[in-house]
Amino acid sequence: MTRDELAIALRAIVGPRGVLSRPAELLPFSADGLPTYHRPPKLAVFPSTREQVIDVIRLFAREQWPFVPRGAGTGLSAGALAGGDAVIVGLNRLTRILSLDPVNRLAVVEPGAVNVSLTRAAGAFGLYYAPDPSSQSACTIGGNVAENSGGPHCLKYGVTVNHVVAVTVLLPDGEVVSLGGAHGETPGYDLLGAFVGSEGCFGIALDVTVRLSPNPPAVRTMLADFTSIDAGARATSAIIASGILPAALEMMDGPTIRAVEASIYAAGYPADAEAVLLIELDGLEAGLDADARRVEQLCLDAGARTVRTARDERERARLWQGRKKAFGAMGRVAPALVVQDAVIPRTRLPDVLRTIHDIAQRWRIQVCNVFHAGDGNLHPNIGYDPRDSDATDRVHHAMREIMRACVDAGGTITGEHGIGLDKLEYMPLIFSPASLDAQCRLRAVFDPDRRANPDKVVPQHACREWTQAPAARAAATVPA
Amino acid sequence: MTATRDTPPACALPGTLPPLADALPGIMTCVHCGFCLQACPTYLALGDENDSPRGRILLMRAVAEGELPVDDPDVRRHLDRCLGCRGCETACPSGVPYGQILESARATLNQRQPPPRIARLVLAVFATHHPLAATLWAARVMRGSRLAALLARLPGRVGFSFAMLAASAPAMPARPYATRGRGTRGTVAALRGCVMEGLFAHVNRATERTLEENDYHVTPAPGQRCCGALHAHAGDLVGARALARANIAAFERAGVDYIAVNASGCGLMMKEYGHLLRNDPAWAARATAIAQRTRDASELLAAAGPVAGAPMALRVVYDAPCHLVHGQRLHHEPLAVLAAVPDLVTTTLPNADQCCGSAGIYNLLQPELAQRVLAPKLDEIAQDGAPLVATGNPGCMMQIGAGLRRGHIAARTVHPVELLDASYARHAHGVPAPRR
Repeated sequence: MTRDELAIALRAIVGPRGVLSRPAELLPFSADGLPTYHRPPKLAVFPSTREQVIDVIRLFAREQWPFVPRGAGTGLSAGALAGGDAVIVGLNRLTRILSLDPVNRLAVVEPGAVNVSLTRAAGAFGLYYAPDPSSQSACTIGGNVAENSGGPHCLKYGVTVNHVVAVTVLLPDGEVVSLGGAHGETPGYDLLGAFVGSEGCFGIALDVTVRLSPNPPAVRTMLADFTSIDAGARATSAIIASGILPAALEMMDGPTIRAVEASIYAAGYPADAEAVLLIELDGLEAGLDADARRVEQLCLDAGARTVRTARDERERARLWQGRKKAFGAMGRVAPALVVQDAVIPRTRLPDVLRTIHDIAQRWRIQVCNVFHAGDGNLHPNIGYDPRDSDATDRVHHAMREIMRACVDAGGTITGEHGIGLDKLEYMPLIFSPASLDAQCRLRAVFDPDRRANPDKVVPQHACREWTQAPAARAAATVPA
Repeated sequence: MTATRDTPPACALPGTLPPLADALPGIMTCVHCGFCLQACPTYLALGDENDSPRGRILLMRAVAEGELPVDDPDVRRHLDRCLGCRGCETACPSGVPYGQILESARATLNQRQPPPRIARLVLAVFATHHPLAATLWAARVMRGSRLAALLARLPGRVGFSFAMLAASAPAMPARPYATRGRGTRGTVAALRGCVMEGLFAHVNRATERTLEENDYHVTPAPGQRCCGALHAHAGDLVGARALARANIAAFERAGVDYIAVNASGCGLMMKEYGHLLRNDPAWAARATAIAQRTRDASELLAAAGPVAGAPMALRVVYDAPCHLVHGQRLHHEPLAVLAAVPDLVTTTLPNADQCCGSAGIYNLLQPELAQRVLAPKLDEIAQDGAPLVATGNPGCMMQIGAGLRRGHIAARTVHPVELLDASYARHAHGVPAPRR
C-alpha cells in the first residue's frame, strides 16, 4: 500500500476531515512543546470515536505501518513527533469524560480529555484529579499516561501512575486488552505499571480509569523570597528534613521571576529576589498553622527576606498562575526555548545549581531555573534564537553538560517529561547495555514490530535482537 | 528579542511581503507551549491544530519565512476560519500579540488574493457615508415592518441574518428622563458607531444618559466615521487607517477628556489606533493620544461608582464580549454597571469568556462554523434560564439574540448600560433609589 492509498483507506474510516496529508497542514504537527525538534509527518489521522481508533490501528497492523499517538502536543521531550513513514494518530478529538463516580471516587475518561477538565467536572463533588502538570490547562490524560506526568503537587500526592487504576489498551496489533482494575490490585504482574510511562510505545489508551482525590479541607500557600539560590536550596532541604511534607515545594530563580513578572501572569514575586520558594501545605485545618509557622521559621533561618501567606483563594491562584505559566512566560526572553528535565538528590541542589550557572557562563547562554525543589526535579530553561546557529550549538553543548552534571551528582535524566527523542542519547549514561536490552524485550511484548512510536525512548542500537537479527528487521521494515 | 517591533528584521526573507515581515518578531514570541489550544473556539469546535492559535502562528511564520507561498490555499483557509476573538492572548504566557499578527498576515495574503466578494462589499459600504446610512435606514424600515421577524424563520444564512436584524430591536422600552449629573468628572464624546447608531440608537442614548447621570459632561464629536475595526480584522489596513485618521481628527476637534465607546470591538480598535498608524509619522503620535483617551463606556461608569438607580427585580446573565475581556482586558467594569441596579440578580455564563461566533462579519463569511461556536453558548443560556442576556457589543447582541430567537429560547439580549438606564429612568419617574 502506498501512502496515498493509505490516506484513502484512512479517510474511509474517519471521514475526509479526519485526515491531513498536505505539507502545509501537517506543519503544526512537526513539533510538540519543545521547539528544538522538527519532524514534519507525511500523514496525520484524527479519529473521533473509539471504534474509529480501533479500525485505524487495525489498518496499520494489516499494512505493517508505523504510527505515533499524539494528544495535545504539549510534551517537552519531542515524544509525539513522527519521522519517516510514521503516521500521527491524533487522539485530541476523544475528549469525553465517560463516567464520574463520586462515591467510589473514580472517573473514566477518553484519552483526549484535557487534564483540567476532569478536575473541573469533579469539582462539583468536592473532588479533583491530583496530578497537575503545569500544562494541565491544555494537556490530555492520554498524554499524561504516556509520559507518567508529574506536576508541582506530586511531591505529596504522587505522579500519574499513582492515580491510574485501569486502562483499556489497544495494542499495536489491534487487540484490545484491559490492564489493571477499577477495584483494587489485580493479581499477576503489574502490566498497568509498565504501560503508564511507556511513551506511546506500547499501544494506545482507549479509556483511562483514574482515582479522584477529595479537595484538602485546608490549604496554606506561602511565598518565601531569598537573595541567593543557595539560601533557597538550604530552606528546601531544611523543610523536608523537618518531617513536614508540603503538597508542593517549588523554586524559581531570579531570571524566571523577572520573566513571570513581565508577563500577564505577574504574580507579585519580588523582582529583585534571586530565588523564591512557593510552598503549599494542605491537610486538616488543625495543626496546619503550626506547620506553616514552622516552615516560615525554617525559611527565615535559611536567610529568607520575607515569607508571606496567601490571604485568600484569589491570591493563592495568582501565586500559582505565575509558577504554572513560567515556561511560556520565558518566550519573552528569547524566540525559542528549550527546557531540560533532570532529577538530583535534594541535598545536592546548591552545588548542582552552581555548576549549571558555571556551565551557562562558559557557553554564554542564559539559564532560567524553575523547578520542583521538593523532589529535586530540575527544569533549567534556556532561551535562544534558533536562527543563530552558533547560539544553537552552544545551547546544545550546554544542555549536554548540564545533563552530565546531574547524572554525576547521582541524579537521573528525566523527572516527568519522558525520554522521547530529546533524551535518547542520555539513556546509556544511566543504563547498562543489558538493562537497555531488557527494556527492548519488554517493549517487544507489547509491540514486537516496533511500529508504535518508533525510534523513541530506547536507542534502537541498544536492542540486541534488533542489531543481531537483520532478517527480522527486514521483515518488520515498512514499505515506503 | 533581537529585532524591535517597529522595524522589519534584517533577515527579511525572500518572498516576504511587508506587513507580515513586520509581525515576525511577534510571531517569534510563541514558544509553542500549547496553552492557547483550549482557549480557541475553532480548535474546540474542529479539533484541528491548524485551526488553533499555535497552528496558525506556525502557518503564518512559514509564510513570513518563505517556507510556504503567500497564496497557499491551506494557509488561507485556516486563517479565514480564525474568529479574531483573541481568547488566545489571555491564555498566552509569552504575550504573543496574536491579533496584530493576524491582521498583518491577512493584509499580506490579501495582496495576492482579495477577500471574498461579500466581505469586500460589506467593507466598501462601511467605508462610505451615504450608502452605509441608506443601508442602515433600509434595515430599520425592514425591522420596523415586522418583515424581518417573518424572514428570520427562513433556513440558513439568510434567515439567520434577518434574525440578527430582528434581535437588534430594543428588548425593553426606553423611557427618557432629564439627567441630573453635575458634569464634574470631565468631558466625554461618544463614538456613535455605524451599527450602533443605525440599529442600536437606543443603546447610544442610554449610554449618553447614564454617563451624564454619573457626572460626565457629554458633548458631540461631529465628523466621526466607522471605527475601521471590520476593515482591520479583514486585513484591509489601508481602509482602516483612512477611517482612523478621520476619527482622530474628529475627536481632536471635540477636545474632550475621554472618548466613550459602548461597542467593545470598536473600543478595542480605537485603543489600538497607535499601533495601526505606528509607521505614519504624521499621525502616529496623534493616534496614540486619542487611543489613550479611549474608554469603554463601562470603564467610565465603573470609575464613577456608578450611582445606584431604582430597584429592578430581574434576572440577567452576563456574557463577556471577547474584545472587552480579551482585547481590552476589562472583567469587572460591566459587572459593576449591572451591580448598580438594586435587586438585579446577575449571574455569569460558565464560559462567558468564550466567543459567541459573531466576530464582526465572520458569521457572514463562515456561517457554519459560527453556528458551531454559538451552540454551546445558547445551551448555557438555556440552562441558566435568565430572561435577559447582557453583553456590551452589537455583534454579540445580534448573534446571540438571533440564536436565541431561532432556538426558541425565551431570552433577549441587552447592553448592560440599557439596564442601568432603565433603573435611572425608574428613579426619575418616582421610584426611590436605596440610600448608598
